[in-house]
Amino acid sequence: MLKSIGKRVLQTLVVLFCVSLLIFILLRIIPGDAITTMMGEHANAETIERLTKEMNLDKPFYVQFASYLRDICTGNFGSSYTLNKPVTELISAAFPNTVMLAVFAALIAWVIGMVCGIIAAVRKDGILDRLFMGFSLLGVSIPVFMVAMLLQYLVGYRLHWVDISGVKNWTGFILPAIALGWNSAGSIARLTRSTLVEVLQEDYIDTAKAKGLGQGAVLLLHALRNAMLPVITMMALQISSLLSGAVITETIFSINGVGRLAVDAITSRDIPLLQGTVLFTTVIVIVGNLIADCLYTVLDPRIRKGA
Amino acid sequence: MTKRMRTANLLLACALTVGTLGVGMSAAAEEGSDKVLDFAMNDDLSTMDVMNTTADYMVPMNVFDRLFEIKVLEDGSTEIVNSLCTDYTVSEDGLTYTFTLREGVTFSNGEAFTAEDVEYTFMHLLSPESINADIALRVAGAEAYMAGEADTVSGITVDGDSQITITLTAPHAGFIAELTAPAMSIIDKTTVEAAENFGIDLEETVGTGPYVVTEWVNNDHVTLTRNENYWGELPSVETAIMHIIPDASTQNLMFQNGELDILDLDYQDASIVASTYQTQYAEQLVSRSRLALTYMSMNANDEFMSDPVVRQAIQMSIDRQAILDSVFNGNGHLENGIIPAGVIGHNDNGTEITYDPEAAKQLLADAGYKDGDITFELAMDSSSSSNTQMVYQIVQQQLAAVGITAEIKTYDQSSWLDTRKSGEMDSFIGTWTMDYNDPANIMDTFFGSVENTVLRSDNYKDTEIIERVAAASAIVDDEERYAEYQALEEKIIHEDFSWVPLYALNHFYAISEDVESYSPHWAGYSDFYIKDVVMK
Amino acid sequence: MPKKSNPLQDDFRTEMAAEREALAAQLGESDTFGDKMRRLASDNKLAVFSGILIVIFILMAVFAPLLTPYDFDEMDLMARLAPPSAKHLLGTDELGRDVLTRLLYGARVSLAVGVIPTVFSMLIGVVLGMVSGYVGGMTDAVIMRLADVVLSFPSLLLAMVIMYTLGDGITSIFIALAITNWASVARVVRSETLSLRETEYVEAARSMGVKDMVIIFRHILPNCIPSLIVLFTLNVPSAILSESSLSFLGIGVQLPKSSWGLMVNMGRTYLYNAPWLSLVPSAAIMLVVLAFNFLGDGLRDVLDPHLKNS
Repeated sequence: MLKSIGKRVLQTLVVLFCVSLLIFILLRIIPGDAITTMMGEHANAETIERLTKEMNLDKPFYVQFASYLRDICTGNFGSSYTLNKPVTELISAAFPNTVMLAVFAALIAWVIGMVCGIIAAVRKDGILDRLFMGFSLLGVSIPVFMVAMLLQYLVGYRLHWVDISGVKNWTGFILPAIALGWNSAGSIARLTRSTLVEVLQEDYIDTAKAKGLGQGAVLLLHALRNAMLPVITMMALQISSLLSGAVITETIFSINGVGRLAVDAITSRDIPLLQGTVLFTTVIVIVGNLIADCLYTVLDPRIRKGA
Repeated sequence: MTKRMRTANLLLACALTVGTLGVGMSAAAEEGSDKVLDFAMNDDLSTMDVMNTTADYMVPMNVFDRLFEIKVLEDGSTEIVNSLCTDYTVSEDGLTYTFTLREGVTFSNGEAFTAEDVEYTFMHLLSPESINADIALRVAGAEAYMAGEADTVSGITVDGDSQITITLTAPHAGFIAELTAPAMSIIDKTTVEAAENFGIDLEETVGTGPYVVTEWVNNDHVTLTRNENYWGELPSVETAIMHIIPDASTQNLMFQNGELDILDLDYQDASIVASTYQTQYAEQLVSRSRLALTYMSMNANDEFMSDPVVRQAIQMSIDRQAILDSVFNGNGHLENGIIPAGVIGHNDNGTEITYDPEAAKQLLADAGYKDGDITFELAMDSSSSSNTQMVYQIVQQQLAAVGITAEIKTYDQSSWLDTRKSGEMDSFIGTWTMDYNDPANIMDTFFGSVENTVLRSDNYKDTEIIERVAAASAIVDDEERYAEYQALEEKIIHEDFSWVPLYALNHFYAISEDVESYSPHWAGYSDFYIKDVVMK
Repeated sequence: MPKKSNPLQDDFRTEMAAEREALAAQLGESDTFGDKMRRLASDNKLAVFSGILIVIFILMAVFAPLLTPYDFDEMDLMARLAPPSAKHLLGTDELGRDVLTRLLYGARVSLAVGVIPTVFSMLIGVVLGMVSGYVGGMTDAVIMRLADVVLSFPSLLLAMVIMYTLGDGITSIFIALAITNWASVARVVRSETLSLRETEYVEAARSMGVKDMVIIFRHILPNCIPSLIVLFTLNVPSAILSESSLSFLGIGVQLPKSSWGLMVNMGRTYLYNAPWLSLVPSAAIMLVVLAFNFLGDGLRDVLDPHLKNS
């Protein structure tokens, strides 16, 4: 057990190292740098040259990378070139928004996904099956920015229920969470449906039916409980991907989240900020996968027994 | 039923079957009379220190003062007025300026404003990491100071608390105009010297201006509060909140929903401005004729555009009026030179470029070019507005009509700038908005040195003309200087055909019903002086 | 490879066939591919309908020039943002171009963006996944860490970086999407390979000295195909949507060409005064994405009841 955890941690470190190296290499290859972007329309060859020296961008890339790794090991993620603030400060300001959005979105995804999935499974191959599966898939079938804009227009502008953008309080998360959550609902619905269909065909359901329990009770008591395992695993995976930021939703609703931070960092060639945000989200995704695996092991009696 | 409501309902029907929505349009209802101004910007600031930015001027413009400011007159023309400087004299040779400073002015943290602060402002701009040193570098001894070879700037002499003398390396007639630029915002020596993070830390970022920054949440908002101890007339707006709203459609909807008091229509599609704002919000529309020039650049190093005939043909084959009329609903005017209308020294009687595709075709045919021979890249910044993207596509079609193939190629902003600054961009459409009202600003930027022609990717070849452009700013007599600039612009545009001047657009803003009046930036920047807004 | 006549191997092949039949029976897959398709046609009308819809879209894309009198970049500046009419069935866009025409030409790009990078990502994923699962050891570790890197790197960011590096254009999109999508395919194929490698007939083949390549291509790959078909139908719509996300970020197809994603993104500016501009291509994307999803679900039901988690 300890050995496998150790192996896992080691693998994670390798992945983080590679991700970090990848960013460095990629940002070397893309044309443009932070200084060019900072200078904008204004240009001045001397200034560009002076700043390149000043920011150590003239050093060979392995020197820059080594000094970056050294800094990380001492907990120093550097300062953003463009926002002139420590990367850790920027991420810790943006992350709570991302968490709120992810949690709300996950809740919505689960509600839509499971309700649709259950109904579809019970009415397998019927009209309701197609209808509810279609509905759950709708959110992922239209570009998310269209869903977001339609919600803004209908709920924010026509109905006046919530603000159109920004997050003055928790209500500001409702619309972006619907846009984002609906987007993830389809896969949960599909998984719920297929596992439930399979479980419903198994023998013990017949046994339960034979015992005289009503159909609804059978569902609730047995099938659902047994079908939940893969769904829960998937939820853990989804939460971790939601936590790594949703650029488009964050942009439309003007939410200061991790995704927007990362995209801005690429656009402005802000190496420290991009390194920081990507490493951060990578850790989140890896931890999320780890939790999903653990959940699977803990919840599935067959695996627990070592089968 | 208005047109907007009809299309709105059509949208409803198309989008979702929501049924009947009993909620009508609500009037813009801002909360009462507390004089809070909400407005939007599409990007966050990077800093409030002008040394580190050439674009994020909204906060510096309002938090700091300059020695001089530009005032817009009734007829739309501009004049330079005193601000922190009350009087100045220039020596006969145009080299030495003596400024008398306003007394009794304090920074918002109580520090007194003195001549030493002005000296320090120059020194700060000349820090090694500065990206905004151009103007300060005109001062004698500035280069030595910047290179670390001197402890002070030899051309600056402080004479008591309220007098300062500045000597330039060469006469520069536009110097006073340059001092109105946001880059020349006066900072406090005592505070900045002690500061750890000037321009980022709100406590440390103090100015003598009418507003103080009281809150800055990255990618969310910046709050500016009125400086109650401001030396000048107290402005009307008590609190101004700059919301960072990256998406233009969201800004549009927010304004219509009453969540914004000023909407910068530059970010909006021109057809929306025409269909919605020029009709339903006609009463709430504010416009400023921009001191700017939109141009198409042609790289003289390009295989085909190195030929003046090709450049001339391109000039003649772009129907600028059609672009202005169709994309921008005619809200602007054509430009035929380099120095745009409204800038001092603009030539009202310059040669006009005429749209004549047939003549262009003939020119090309006479020079031996066949249909499709000429191809080049028309480079576009991917962050361009929908308006600009339309202009690119129309220009491409118009060039195709005379047999020239211009391939639109999109670059992300950073790559675009990088390629352009390397001097290797074939062609692009750009806009230059004046930093200060003097022809030197635009002439020097584009044609003032060989280096600049590379950075702008035009690679203008006539070094004699380049030298004359560089020398022109030293001509002390204004009339003589303008005449020289006009002659140069005639040569560059109408004899060498080095550029296609296109047009200058009006800058529109919509204001909410809570705003009594608003005067946009004199040159048409998106940044504005909050003191120019009067709330009801 | 020249065909060797090796009596031993021929013998072995019949043995293999028997083994495989046994395995198939054990998995409940006693019917042939044709049987499965017939079952799909009779049980799942929606999947069949979806398949037909996809074919219609493909035909529309292929025959676009025959279906419309306009060119995709033919502007009419006098008729900008015109609502649907007899002349322009779906109205005109911000430059007076016929929306229907751009939709048809856009279908070419969007369907290509759905299919081509998906094919490439699957090729990469299949090769790396099979090598990883079959060879194991260090090779496996390296390939899987590589997959981890790609999977944990936010995919939109990775695509952006690739697009910024290569410049805009449809080839860049193909490359960007192929690079970001291969990893999940590799994982699925690797786990299938692992479980197939453990089966008796593969072990028997190995012990008899059959070449690894032969085992991989004859015995492992064919068994992965059902999962691959299902993965394909699910990855195509996600690639189409990725293209629209890239368009939102201002990168992707080069103007004045059109794609559905680009049309939606350009059109969303006019959502409140010319809604057809964004709603029409949105609807097209929605139909295709739903069709692929329903077809994929249907195929999964008949082909591969064990693949549920993708």
